[in-house]
Amino acid sequence: MPNPPSPPGALSRRALLTGTAAAAGLGLAGCGSVSGGLSGRTRVKQWNLLAGSDGAVMTEMHDQFAAEHPDIELEATTFGWGTPFYTRLVMGASGGNASDIATIHLSRLKSVSPATLLDPITLDELTAHGLDPADFPEKIWEQCFAGDELYAIPIDTHALVNYYNRTVCEQVGVLNPDGTLLETHGVEEYLDLLRAVKEATGQYGTSLDTLGGWRQFWAWYRQADGEMTFGDGEYEMDDDKALQSIEIMYRMAEEGLCPTFADGGQCAANFENGAAGLVQVGNWEINRFKAFDQAQGLDFSMTEMPDFFGNRRTQGDCHSYVLPRHHSWDPEVREATLAYAAWMLRHSFRWGEGGGHTPAYLPVTESAEYQALQPNAEYSGVVQNVQFDPDVWFSGSAARLFDETGAIFNQVYGLAMTPDEALALVKERIQALLDLPNPVD
Amino acid sequence: MAAVLDKPRTVAPGRRAAKRRFKRPTVGAVVVYVAAAALAVLWLLPLLWALSTSLKPETEASLGQDIHWIPQDWSLEGYRTLFERGDHLTWMINSTIVSTIVTVLTLVLCVLAAYGFSRFDFPAKNVIFGAIIAGLMVPGQALIIPLFDLVNDLRLSGTYWGLALPQVVAPVMVFILKRFFDAIPRDYEEAAKLDGAGHLRVLVSVIVPLSGPIMAAVGIFTFIGSWNNFLWPLLVATDPSMMTLPVGLGVVSGGYGLFYAQNMAAAVLGALPLLVVFLIFQKQIVNGVAGVGLK
Amino acid sequence: MTVKTEAPAAAPAAVPRPPTAPNPKRRSWTGLWFVLPFAAFYALFLVYPTFLGLFYSFTDKSLTGRPASWVGLDNWAEALGDERAWDALWNTAVFTLYSTPPLVVLAIVLALLVNRARRIGWFLRMAFFAPFVVPVSVVTMIWIWIYQPTGGLLNHYLQLLGLQDPAAPTIWLQGETTAMWSVVITTVWWTLGFNFLLYLAALQTIDPNVYEAASIDGAGWWRQTAHLTLPLLKRTTGLVVVLQLIASLRIFDQMYLMTAGGPNRATEVAIHYIYIAGFEGYRIGYASALSYVLFVLILVVSIVQFRLFSRKEA
Repeated sequence: MPNPPSPPGALSRRALLTGTAAAAGLGLAGCGSVSGGLSGRTRVKQWNLLAGSDGAVMTEMHDQFAAEHPDIELEATTFGWGTPFYTRLVMGASGGNASDIATIHLSRLKSVSPATLLDPITLDELTAHGLDPADFPEKIWEQCFAGDELYAIPIDTHALVNYYNRTVCEQVGVLNPDGTLLETHGVEEYLDLLRAVKEATGQYGTSLDTLGGWRQFWAWYRQADGEMTFGDGEYEMDDDKALQSIEIMYRMAEEGLCPTFADGGQCAANFENGAAGLVQVGNWEINRFKAFDQAQGLDFSMTEMPDFFGNRRTQGDCHSYVLPRHHSWDPEVREATLAYAAWMLRHSFRWGEGGGHTPAYLPVTESAEYQALQPNAEYSGVVQNVQFDPDVWFSGSAARLFDETGAIFNQVYGLAMTPDEALALVKERIQALLDLPNPVD
Repeated sequence: MAAVLDKPRTVAPGRRAAKRRFKRPTVGAVVVYVAAAALAVLWLLPLLWALSTSLKPETEASLGQDIHWIPQDWSLEGYRTLFERGDHLTWMINSTIVSTIVTVLTLVLCVLAAYGFSRFDFPAKNVIFGAIIAGLMVPGQALIIPLFDLVNDLRLSGTYWGLALPQVVAPVMVFILKRFFDAIPRDYEEAAKLDGAGHLRVLVSVIVPLSGPIMAAVGIFTFIGSWNNFLWPLLVATDPSMMTLPVGLGVVSGGYGLFYAQNMAAAVLGALPLLVVFLIFQKQIVNGVAGVGLK
Repeated sequence: MTVKTEAPAAAPAAVPRPPTAPNPKRRSWTGLWFVLPFAAFYALFLVYPTFLGLFYSFTDKSLTGRPASWVGLDNWAEALGDERAWDALWNTAVFTLYSTPPLVVLAIVLALLVNRARRIGWFLRMAFFAPFVVPVSVVTMIWIWIYQPTGGLLNHYLQLLGLQDPAAPTIWLQGETTAMWSVVITTVWWTLGFNFLLYLAALQTIDPNVYEAASIDGAGWWRQTAHLTLPLLKRTTGLVVVLQLIASLRIFDQMYLMTAGGPNRATEVAIHYIYIAGFEGYRIGYASALSYVLFVLILVVSIVQFRLFSRKEA
């Protein structure tokens, strides 16, 4: 299961009350949970999928929020990233029984059927909590709507980036004098760089998450200007451009330039233990690598995706807050929920610094403090280069297109499938998804 | 506990004991004992490995370390973290609540129904009994979709009732209890009735006391079945505060990630309650399983 | 959600039977009151959902709650032609084929051993049956830990025994061919104790005189086992196989927790696909149709089981 591992504390720490309270609640066992409702504080339940090291940053922010808001009891829970989380969200909301607030990928907004499963947010509520539509990048803000209703509050932009081990890269001479990674152009140049690094590590050139192949595929496919459009039972994609992207995976794995299998945890571990000199993974691992640097030493920095086909486009998405549908809202809970969301946005400098994400809240990203932040500044270009997933109900982070093609690409990295076979299977799966009746609209 | 374990446990101890004579152990017997003991230890290894890992500090437990069974550096770190987080305890309490509701309701409903079927004749009796017996063949797992929808519509999802009630329907228990009641002579009841006891009194004061072992077996198996049920609570226990132990461990533990000592501490604590139940009720459980094959 | 069918039925041998004075049953409403509470639950949580599911299978009802409409036999036609559904059924069958033989043979072997090693019988029974009461998620947590490709217990010992090249550790749960075996091994470890107890009980009811007669004829243990014991276990084996078939058709937990149906759907089983179609894919209507296909299959096996039991009781 492609669940990235999580550091300690990524889980809700004060999620639940003690057993004595629970035992006392036995009498009320009929209705709700044994925990909660006994403290007299307003309880806000938050669900998230931040099982990576960004989850630890969120927990740290939650602790600070809790310290500043003694009247609010924040109960945050991290679920397995991807399908386990989204399934739980939808199942919970279908019974009016999900959390008060949840983090989702903006690319998934339409797939969670906002009209029936989410509660809209009014602009008045936002302004009452000090937020303004102008505080968000327009391109992202527009995606927060379904119909005329606002359903999401964007938190950040995140994307695949390229981390490099400076010690290793210096050894083989692929660093600029200022210590940044040499810029390469085209696939061959980059593979040469990987070969050099592989010499030094003795194992891999780069590490990557072989289960997250969709991200790499989409980045490279979009670098080549590949388009994927969906019509009624039909779709269009550029087979040649898709094939050349899949071939990169196969070639790297075949030559041993990258692992043939690595889940989120192993992918990052390869970089930490020096098995690989680079790692192509999301900016969210920054916290993990920083922690490793402090504990055992790891001189690293990060930059944008390498230019394979004439530019440095990358795949990415936005985290955002949504309010799952409630049978009825307790006004106090609703108030506390929005206060929480607004507080998190105003304090999202830490989110960018620790989580590696680029905050969506402009007052933060436009601040001089943030602009000077390293290594974030080195990859700040991703915000312009980020490519969101194609627009169709089964697309988006951890959606079926992502999962099903990812499983195929994992086979490619495992050298169990040739690029031609993989492309044929990808096309077959896309067609099968298209043939499904759309259960959302 | 020792007292329970020391008791002879063969199905017909008297008969066997009478036949057994003391002999010098043969080579064959020694081989059998050694082989059996070795297999038993092998069978316990996974549980012991979990226990061993749980007692190591994280650094010693993590992958890439030497495999060794005795911790070099004994540590309860994994357990402590678990208790600090607190959700494990909540899940255990939830499991206890849900399994208790299920067990009590199952016993009450099934005993009532079995008594009704055993002792009375009433309109449509055969139709109702036939329908319930047919229910033996309905696989609950194939009903998850409509059942989930039903529980949502009843606004029971995410509540203890939503977790427990659908698990209460156990036609097989009615069947088993009815067969047992059928075999109880009516003389006792007649005596009680002459004393002026009503039907319910008769059931509670005559039938139930006579049915101790069977009710214990039904109760224990219902409890274990409900405690270990995974699929249904996975669907309806939406929030972690409502999850049962198997679901909480399975769903939320995705976040434990690379923390193996803590992970195994959770596993050990997760296994413990029913292992204790098993050791206490070993006799009833063993005989209960045996009953399936012997009936 | 009915409780496991393999529930106990302790023989009511302790109570004197048969009933001496049959009660003249009078037709009255009294009995109905006793039956009613159970019948109400039964109707609400078993009968009604059974028909509700049938109804949904003719609609495009969605988990999202958007209005549903009648689609006739579309779902059924799609289900019967759905390769993924057939693959899932096939995987279920493969699991059954892999897991049943060890669950029968090993259970017999262990029962024979324990039957001979009676002085440590309590310990052996405890060791072999204990895993059965452990919750499935604990079982899978432990085995996922054991199956770790590098640093896991299993590969470590395989390498020590020279059965595995340390440079190429087996990737148990993520390998397309090994994943199913991994789940099977875990399942055998987990559930073997139940079958073992069934066999042990059967062994212990065999009349010792049968063996004594055989000893006089000079038959050794092996011959006794082959010619006397095993034939006497036939009925138990029939029961075990049927219970196994039904349990296998309903398998879900281990796959969901250990492999999530992967890699590349190699371990995706029937209930899991229903879950995926209905909850991950939101298609309640379609998943209901899929459920009914499985329902019918389980029904067939159950009827076979029912026949087996009634024949025996007759």
